[in-house]
Amino acid sequence: MKYILLMTGTNAGAKGYHAWSQKDIDAHMAVLVSLNKELGESGEFVATQGLSEPSEAKLVRGEKDGIPVTDGVFPEAKEFLLGYWIVDVNSPERAYQIAARISTAPGPGGVPTNMPIEVRRFATPRA
Amino acid sequence: MKYMLMMNTMKAGQGVPAWPKKDLQAHVAFMMKFVKQLQESGELVAAEGLAFPDQAKVVRAGKDGLPITDGVFPESKEFLAGYWIVDVDSPERAYALAAQASAAPGIGGEPLNMPIEVRAVMSCPPPEML
Repeated sequence: MKYILLMTGTNAGAKGYHAWSQKDIDAHMAVLVSLNKELGESGEFVATQGLSEPSEAKLVRGEKDGIPVTDGVFPEAKEFLLGYWIVDVNSPERAYQIAARISTAPGPGGVPTNMPIEVRRFATPRA
Repeated sequence: MKYMLMMNTMKAGQGVPAWPKKDLQAHVAFMMKFVKQLQESGELVAAEGLAFPDQAKVVRAGKDGLPITDGVFPESKEFLAGYWIVDVDSPERAYALAAQASAAPGIGGEPLNMPIEVRAVMSCPPPEML
């Protein structure tokens, strides 16, 4: 069964990331890259992507004429998707385990961020 | 360039919308047709629907690295209902596709005009993050 693991943060939180030292960023990325490699080897990896900064996000609605109405104004508290992993696993517990691994990725000073990871099952499981 | 179009339309605890079956079917038919159109134009990268928020979990690692699972979310939280990743020539094209998805039919076949969040996808972390 396929699950998507969603890493989210506010615009302010995403900006805070810019204050991390290069060493801390390297250590954080190294853990995530090694997790991706491990998931590739176990055959559980489906996809991963990072999204561009929340400051570039737009909100679009269709009007009656079908013309897009574009807006980039969001409430400050809004959680933006920063990136995601799609995994194909045998149980929800395994998806939670992988999410916990992402959650332990190091932050400033090498301290685990323990950030929350939202875990959602795909509605359309495919073989 | 790749964009992710997100339907952040669900609320905590929500299951299948209480719409008449006919309206649900029309909505799903619209979404299937939209994906087919994107396939034919060569713009579709991926599209998925997610299980309803009543099944969502949030996971954190505890001190020992073990998962702490919780299904309690703030009432104001928006949940991703589904998404499309499209490969298009311009942001304007991504906005036009988002507007099309926005007009998916709801109750009584009325266009929902739901907000669709449009974000550029980074194919790899930016150089300053590597």
